[in-house]
Amino acid sequence: MKKLIILLLAVATLPLSLSAQEISLKGKELFGDLSARHIGPALMSGRINDLEVHPTNTRIMYAGAAGGGVWKSVDGGATFTAIFDEHPQSIGVVTLDPKDPDQTIWVGTGETWTRNSVSVGKGLFRTTDGGSTWKEIPGFENSERIASVVINPNNTKEVYVGVLGALWSDSEDRGIYKTTDGGATWKKILYVNPSTGAGDVIMDPKNPNTLYASMWEFRRSGWGFNSGGPNSALYKSTNGGETWNKIHNGFPSGDLGRIGVAVAPSDSNIIYAVLETEDKTKNGLWKSADAGQNWEHLNNDFGLTVRPFYFSRITVDPRNPDIIVKGGLSGSISRDGGKTFKDLGNMHSDIHDIVFHINDSDIMYAGTDGGVYRSWNGGTVFEIVENLPLSQFYHISVDDAEPYNVYGGLQDNGSWYGPSSSPGGVNARDWNSVGYGDGFRVLKHPTKNIIYSEMQGAQNVWRYDVDRNRTKTVQPLQEKGVAKLRFNWNAPMAVSAHVPDRFYMGSQFVHKSDDMGESWTIISPDLTTNDPAKQNQLESGGLSMDNSGAENHTTIFTIAESPLDQNVLWVGTDDGNVQVTKDGGKSWTNVTANLTGIPANTWVYHIEASVHGKGTAYAVFDGHTSGDMKPYAMKTTDYGATWKNIISEDISAKAFVRNIQEDYVNEDLLFLGTEFGLYVTIDGGKSWSQFTNNMPPVAIHFIDMQKQTNDVVMGTHGRGVIIIDDISPLRELNQEVLAKNVHFFKNDAFTMKEESGFAGSFGSETQFVGRNKSTSAKIIYYLKKRHTFGKMTLELQDMEGNKITSLPAGKSKGINVVDWSFTSSSPKMAEGKTLAFGGFTPKRVPEGKYKVILTKGKDTYEHVIEVKYDDTSLTSLAERKEQEELTSTLFDMVEDLAYMVYEINTMQETAKEVIENNSKGKKNAQKLYDSLEALRKDLVITTGDGYVASADPELRERMGDLYSGVASAYDGVSADQKRNFELIAGQLKTEQERFAKIKAKEGKKFMSFLEKNELPKPAVLSREDFLSKK
Amino acid sequence: MIKTLFVALLVLAISPVATAQTADEILANYFENTGGLDNWKKVEAIQFQGSVNFQGMELPIEMVQKKDGKSMMKADFQGMTFYQGVYDGETLWSTNQMTMAAEKSDAEATANHKLETNDFPDPFLGYKEKGYTVELIGKETVDGAETFKIKLVKEPIMVDGKEEQDVTFYYFDTENFVPIVVEKEIKGGPGAGMVGQTKMSDYQEVDGLYFPFSITEGAKGQPGGQEITIKSITLNPTVDDTVFAFPAPAATEAGTKN
Repeated sequence: MKKLIILLLAVATLPLSLSAQEISLKGKELFGDLSARHIGPALMSGRINDLEVHPTNTRIMYAGAAGGGVWKSVDGGATFTAIFDEHPQSIGVVTLDPKDPDQTIWVGTGETWTRNSVSVGKGLFRTTDGGSTWKEIPGFENSERIASVVINPNNTKEVYVGVLGALWSDSEDRGIYKTTDGGATWKKILYVNPSTGAGDVIMDPKNPNTLYASMWEFRRSGWGFNSGGPNSALYKSTNGGETWNKIHNGFPSGDLGRIGVAVAPSDSNIIYAVLETEDKTKNGLWKSADAGQNWEHLNNDFGLTVRPFYFSRITVDPRNPDIIVKGGLSGSISRDGGKTFKDLGNMHSDIHDIVFHINDSDIMYAGTDGGVYRSWNGGTVFEIVENLPLSQFYHISVDDAEPYNVYGGLQDNGSWYGPSSSPGGVNARDWNSVGYGDGFRVLKHPTKNIIYSEMQGAQNVWRYDVDRNRTKTVQPLQEKGVAKLRFNWNAPMAVSAHVPDRFYMGSQFVHKSDDMGESWTIISPDLTTNDPAKQNQLESGGLSMDNSGAENHTTIFTIAESPLDQNVLWVGTDDGNVQVTKDGGKSWTNVTANLTGIPANTWVYHIEASVHGKGTAYAVFDGHTSGDMKPYAMKTTDYGATWKNIISEDISAKAFVRNIQEDYVNEDLLFLGTEFGLYVTIDGGKSWSQFTNNMPPVAIHFIDMQKQTNDVVMGTHGRGVIIIDDISPLRELNQEVLAKNVHFFKNDAFTMKEESGFAGSFGSETQFVGRNKSTSAKIIYYLKKRHTFGKMTLELQDMEGNKITSLPAGKSKGINVVDWSFTSSSPKMAEGKTLAFGGFTPKRVPEGKYKVILTKGKDTYEHVIEVKYDDTSLTSLAERKEQEELTSTLFDMVEDLAYMVYEINTMQETAKEVIENNSKGKKNAQKLYDSLEALRKDLVITTGDGYVASADPELRERMGDLYSGVASAYDGVSADQKRNFELIAGQLKTEQERFAKIKAKEGKKFMSFLEKNELPKPAVLSREDFLSKK
Repeated sequence: MIKTLFVALLVLAISPVATAQTADEILANYFENTGGLDNWKKVEAIQFQGSVNFQGMELPIEMVQKKDGKSMMKADFQGMTFYQGVYDGETLWSTNQMTMAAEKSDAEATANHKLETNDFPDPFLGYKEKGYTVELIGKETVDGAETFKIKLVKEPIMVDGKEEQDVTFYYFDTENFVPIVVEKEIKGGPGAGMVGQTKMSDYQEVDGLYFPFSITEGAKGQPGGQEITIKSITLNPTVDDTVFAFPAPAATEAGTKN
């Protein structure tokens, strides 16, 4: 029987294994050295969900970002490092094990301050080694949002997890869970219903069996929000969660909303709660002095009642039960037990969490929509942490400047543009503000130095003239006979690739302007479903009205003009319509019905009109606001008449898609931006591979490709702008390439960039600095297998086969990228007492072709690359040739001097030998030694040190400086350099003659002495041997 | 349906093999594949000659490590000798590049270094006797290759006055059981909090033992890194112990040859 099964197994797997010969590399196996770089910005940082301080070590704290992962500080909050980059980036809670706080950390994913734009989580994670490795705790895969992880300090195997749960759908995963075996098994100990989740779970610090839990009934849709209901309640358990009782004594009757709760650490009888109720006068802060038995209403100031779904964290001073801080628009602090409050000091608005320093209540940390802030004076003055690049982009775009700029708008942080590279790295100061409020789409005019930006709901659309520093507000406005305009919170804008002044916007209509927004024409009917049931935003919010405009629905969300035909326009709406016009808007075709497999009314998040065909487009659909997290992406080549699904099973089942970017060259190469990171296909969507090289699984809201550089630029919602430089090698990947042992990818000629500005690095100790694009030549090759045994080298040669330099070979399986900075070797400097920095300047190669020789064991692989001078050079070819020639002359002179000093040293050694051991020859030897020493002292520095005790420069130093100045310059040789060269060349000649004379006189005598006495002569190597000696 | 069943059977058939590896088995394979445990135990000292490519210059370097914990690294450049991380059993010292004089490392760095002296020639050798723990974390793809990720915990070290665990992760190639990447959190200085990454390749045999002849040090997630190319390795060389000694003040002038 067993044999039969094995046989069947073999037969059954045969066809599989045949097709498996197709090489399918995934992720790190394929992408090798292609690595993402992060350019921030961090100056406005991004939303923080939760802060956690170490219980005993004042240096250590953690920040859980709403969309940007977990960050650890080991310096008291001065700087932070990401420690959760391989896991979902939306964080609900970070909790340290009270007994093992250095090693054991729990992270509940899924942010819990449930605004419209929140990301989603994917379960519960734990590290037992301080964050190096994380393991997912089974049982919470569908939790979506975890608000609390509470650990019994006396028995840390006992853990409570509060699951707030799904925001846009029912979920039976909500509730409070308990483990008593450190997470191996879980029991749900409090569950209300599929729409009511756990807001807060709090443990009495003095009695771990006493727990408080707030349950919250809530729901969001694409067009509304509801907070509150009969099932929201505050519960208490005194038996470790076995039984729970509502503790509402004193609360008003009727429905409740979100409840925040806190126990005073210094007095367990004092409990604070913030309530959202039906009675406005009873909202805000409540206090119990008897551990929840009775409640008294204390305060309903704005700061205590504002937007409970967004702010309901209360923190009590660990040492003083009367000092309470509450999150809010500005954050509030009370020093009289909650009777009165004042605002916290200025910082970014929207404060979600506040923690006190463990030893000093003057020191506080706040987590806001704009990062982490620190206060040193009890909350009056706050300063921002400057190295948390958590910016949350809704959209990005790029221009064609060099280096190109990235434009984009941020959640609650306005609109910005900044360079993709900048001297010294992309700093906070490199970013320019181009809009207030929440920022969304930011587009550069194709030819003029004009930027379009907007704020929420197109309340303002700005046309900013950068050169003149003038702003004009140009949003389309309602006119007579036209319905009220419905703009999305994130209203679509587009500029035309065909008519530079043309500018599109979308409400429920498509608006077109041919004069940069001065005047608008509506060129479409209402393209949405115009479903009135989804237009009741005035009623949104539930117990607390919340009509910010964020829920506006039945609107156009994406507009795409075909790059091949200005009359072809695609429109996607938030309520599921895809519409296309082929005549510039005269007639529109609704192709929604052709989208087989896409559930009705699924948000059309992005349409990408292809460069590969007029009728070709990609559309991605996002159903998460109705609880459908599945990835959807479709391709059409016939103007939407038929569509092909291009999602494969390689993509995580919950990675809903917001964006797609096609390659401009290879139609089969596509980049997919999902809620959980970036996926790449090289076969038109048959299979996808997640890109994870320095690329966290962060929500990607928009992707653009910069045409000149082939860079993929991503606007992430939590980790700022992330760039993958030059993806062109991916265009070449196919089965034939993947089957080769070694494959060199084609390169365009590399330009030797001549820019040479300055970069002050002040502040970089604590500020985020984004990594620049490398300006080196890139030698890119594929290895079928990681090289581990035997020698492997990479050498650069001129076309005649002379070695230029050796480079550190990349040895990864997959794609390797080796940088070459266009230089050959540095000159060998004469030996001296201090370092001569001329010896650190290598020669640059001239324009031309070069051979790359990869040697792997006995096999040799060859590839030719080309380098060229910078088109923007300020130097003529003749000047450059003069510079190259003088560089070579000086290089040789530096080495001539090195050889002369070597000869001197060697002769001196022999002389010294004789002086010490041979009294007969001592006199002659001494004479030789002394004259050589006098010469040597004029050639190289022989005293002092490398800093302020430095000696005057000698010939080596002066020659080295001139060499270095000429060799590293991009312009012609200056008149002064030429005169300086004459002087130094003359001096070298003089010294060489002086050396010849010494050799002829003292040297000769000494040599004949050695000969007569049959003593060994100085073992002087030839110049060639000396130079090649390492 | 039948296909599903077969896939399930296949998974069942394969998984016991895949999980059979323990950290100790992997380490045993590693020592076996690189020359044998007994041969490793016989090593008394190792001398490395190599070079570092720095801006087009091949900087020659020499390293010596001894079983008694003494160690030394030096580089000769423009007639001067730079010493780095020299340890004589008591004092850890390096050359100050401004004055070219030897300077002692701070007490904490010296104490932490002293803890590493029992790691010769390999921290995994007799790790249990040393009180270390190892743990197989799982499989991970690094450098495109499938590896076993092994966590090594050594004696706690001190970081700016506070005790911390000393954790290193080794990635052993599943095909040949040699480590190809080592990762360790950077504990102090400007890179604190980042993960230092050492990549190893070009393993070659030296008197029956295998060593990586290419070692690249960098930071995880960052491009580049500094490659050290080993040119030759001498096992059990004759080394004059005076090279490890902290030079007396007068001898600091010996930086130049003349």
